[in-house]
Amino acid sequence: MSDKLKQIINQQSEQQNDDDSQLDNVVQLVGFIIGDEEYAIPILSIQEIIKPFTWTRVPQVPSYVLGVFNLRGAVIPLIDLRTKFGLQTKKQSDETRFIVMRHGDDVAGFVIDRLTMAIRIDKSDIGPAPDTVNGEDTIIEGVGKQEDKIITILKVNRLLERDF
Amino acid sequence: MDEFQEILQDFLVESFELVEKLDEDLVELENDPEDLELLNGIFRVAHTVKGASSFLNFDVLTHLTHHMEDVLNKARHGELILTPDIMDVILESVDLMKALLETIRDTSADAGIDVSSCVVKLDKITGGNGEVNTPVVEAPVAQAPVVEEVTPVVQEDEPDYDNMSPDDLEAEIEKLLQERQSEDKAKREAKIAAGEKVLSAPPEPIEENSSPKEEPKEEPKPAPTPVVPVSTPSVQSKPKKEDPKAAAPAKRTPAAVEQTIRVDVKRLDHLMNLIGELVLAKNRLIKINDDVEERYEGEEFLEELNQVVSIVSLVTTDLQIAVMKTRMLPIGKVFNKFPRMIRDLSRELDKKIDLELAGEDTELDKSIVEEIGDPLVHIIRNSCDHGVEMPEDRIAKGKPETGTIGLKAYNEGNQIVIQIDDDGKGLDTEMLKNKSLEKGIITEKEADSMSDKEAFTLIFRPGFSTAASVTSVSGRGVGMDVVKTNIEKLNGIIDIDSEIDVGTSMKLKIPLTLAIIQALLVGVQEEHYAIPLASVLETVRISKDEIYTVEGRSVMRLRDEVLSLVHIGDIFEVERILDSNEHAYVVVLGLGTSKLGLIVDTLVGQEEIVIKSLGDYLKGIEGVAGATIRGDGGVTLIVDVVALMQMAKNVKATPLSEVPSSAAVSTEKTKASDYTIMIVDDSKTDRTIMRKALEPMGITLVEASDGQEALNILKAGDHNFDAMLIDIEMPRMDGYTLATEIKKYNKYKNLPLIAVTSRTGKSDRMRGVESGMIEYITKPYSADYLSSVVQRNINFKSEFL
Repeated sequence: MSDKLKQIINQQSEQQNDDDSQLDNVVQLVGFIIGDEEYAIPILSIQEIIKPFTWTRVPQVPSYVLGVFNLRGAVIPLIDLRTKFGLQTKKQSDETRFIVMRHGDDVAGFVIDRLTMAIRIDKSDIGPAPDTVNGEDTIIEGVGKQEDKIITILKVNRLLERDF
Repeated sequence: MDEFQEILQDFLVESFELVEKLDEDLVELENDPEDLELLNGIFRVAHTVKGASSFLNFDVLTHLTHHMEDVLNKARHGELILTPDIMDVILESVDLMKALLETIRDTSADAGIDVSSCVVKLDKITGGNGEVNTPVVEAPVAQAPVVEEVTPVVQEDEPDYDNMSPDDLEAEIEKLLQERQSEDKAKREAKIAAGEKVLSAPPEPIEENSSPKEEPKEEPKPAPTPVVPVSTPSVQSKPKKEDPKAAAPAKRTPAAVEQTIRVDVKRLDHLMNLIGELVLAKNRLIKINDDVEERYEGEEFLEELNQVVSIVSLVTTDLQIAVMKTRMLPIGKVFNKFPRMIRDLSRELDKKIDLELAGEDTELDKSIVEEIGDPLVHIIRNSCDHGVEMPEDRIAKGKPETGTIGLKAYNEGNQIVIQIDDDGKGLDTEMLKNKSLEKGIITEKEADSMSDKEAFTLIFRPGFSTAASVTSVSGRGVGMDVVKTNIEKLNGIIDIDSEIDVGTSMKLKIPLTLAIIQALLVGVQEEHYAIPLASVLETVRISKDEIYTVEGRSVMRLRDEVLSLVHIGDIFEVERILDSNEHAYVVVLGLGTSKLGLIVDTLVGQEEIVIKSLGDYLKGIEGVAGATIRGDGGVTLIVDVVALMQMAKNVKATPLSEVPSSAAVSTEKTKASDYTIMIVDDSKTDRTIMRKALEPMGITLVEASDGQEALNILKAGDHNFDAMLIDIEMPRMDGYTLATEIKKYNKYKNLPLIAVTSRTGKSDRMRGVESGMIEYITKPYSADYLSSVVQRNINFKSEFL
């Protein structure tokens, strides 16, 4: 009986691979604004997007780490991307959101000015990070070209990495 | 393959359990070689492991255990006297057995460990002292016959050794089982026959089945003996594995036979996490209940709510304790390995040492049991090496030749105390100080001012070792400081007491569990912190002038002691935005012998908190041990008292009393709309009336519908208010509270607060003044009056009108 079963399973997985390879050419991103720039991260690395609420300050951390907040029982760090990118701090507005990103076991919330939209972008439309950004160490995954604008795609694993 | 893995798992769990007891039993046996019961127990372990391993094709293990079994078998037949030398060989073989089991656990095979030399030694023992049927090192080929050979041996022995009760028991059980089985069979057949006759009519229409399928169906129906047919076959199925294990402990300690079930630790951890959530929810419920109580005082439903809340709270606490208990293991699990260790050490060091164990039943959380082993090994090694003297020295001092090390565990409040006593030479404080001076661990000045207790703790300093020469046991200068760090990691503390030539006593005090602790919540400015209650000695309320400065450090006098102080705000870089009070609270922290006063602004209360990690991203922040989630859903950081005490040494004190008040932002007003006023009133009508009265002035007006909203607007800092009009009666936060809250902030010290209310009582006015309101307008009022009061208070320039 197992032979038949295996055949069917194999067929199914092959089909799935076909689907995957078609999808593989398109990357789904979520775009957001910090300062004047539009950035994006892969939709799959987003755990959730929430409206801002209170957090608790943590001492002895760089100023871009605002502190920790309670996400349904889990204590999660909150990072202000404006400060991290060297921009002036700005008051939170109605459009401010926390994006909770996940990479492996690392989870953190990031404060962004506002969301733009979900973006489907062809892989061929993503260029490498500009040379001016120094080498391997960059936080930029690549630059996505849209019709009227370009979007900086960020590396989530680098964002979630502790660098202090 | 999976089935094999499953069997292998069972085998490993069982074997490790057996082996764990083996060490202790063997050492006990050495003291009392005549103890047949012990010997039988040990023999059975070797036998069981051999049987199972041959079944699983672990040839090396089978080979080894087979020879161990030979020796032990001789011993229990009285053909062999167990001398210490023989014990050494047996212990060696037990070690090999452990190593093999570990290899099997890691690699699923028993290759890579050479047992031949040990087997030869074992063979020599059997060959030299007993009959001459020395089997020349058996190649692992002889596996199958071995098992066959042994099983009958055990049975044959029975008639000769009537006193060998466990074996009798085995045989008896076997016999009984067989008898019962046949009885049952007969019964069952009879029943089936009867059942078919009587009950055949109703079941038949549903389905007509063959008899094997109907058998189980009908069994439960005749009620008289429902249990017997179920239980017997299960016991029968693997008598070899179960019987020896069950029978041996049953003989010695009848109470130990408890019904147990093995549960994956992960499940317990998950359960513990859920309980943690429940505790948080309970805290929240209690908080809400308090709020509701305040707001609906005297309402009837309150009593009911109170009852429910207290029941939930009670049950949660009980549940938490119950789940904690499921994670508890007796500390005997750790103590078990020490008799063997002491034996080996005393032989190695040529000392005579006895170990006295007490309180092995004391239970500790599993995670703590796992962590406590290594520190204890270090301490006991130290006691053997440095504590207990050589036999001749002991005799010269008039002490018994044999030294004693006591190891006991007991409960003390919320803590477990593990006490290690020795009757050795004790700690010489002068020697300790000199040693530390030599190694540059302390300064001359420190040495002079040191109390004995403090001197004892010198042994925990890194780089300290009292042994004159380095032995293989200790003296490498590492160890005791690691012990201290490990114990502190468990939130525990070490207490030493010692007297020269009488002995040393060390107490490790460890909390029962790591996950949930009692904490004291303190407030500083707008932040809260949780301090583990175990480290809090007391709290004191002091006024500012009780704080003195000595060499740039704040200190205070606490009874007849001088206590150094540090402000929690200086440690955690808290921004001082609130006006500081005339009084402060000092939380006296104690850790072993050191003390520190922590100045806080407020004491919030005592609460049960669930420790949560800050995660990888924020780990290792000095002074923070973790975080907890409070009743209101907010996160509160937990203070790491050990680190805090270290940090306190390097923190510069900022003067408490006068904080540089931020320069009042007095921007020049160039037009009427530069003036901003907040109207706080819960009634829309009242707000509109005020707005109508003030609008003609052209000033900017902001509205809030209660005190909480007003405070939030103020804190947000979007506006620079020149004055506030505040109603007294408001939901959520009333006017008095709002005024008091506002006045706490330095920068709003001079903000004019004007009460607009229909409360006209004299006491109301007084309260208004107390809470910081400067004007009191009673409703109803004329628009002109309101406008003029406001103008006066904000220094409104008349030219704007």
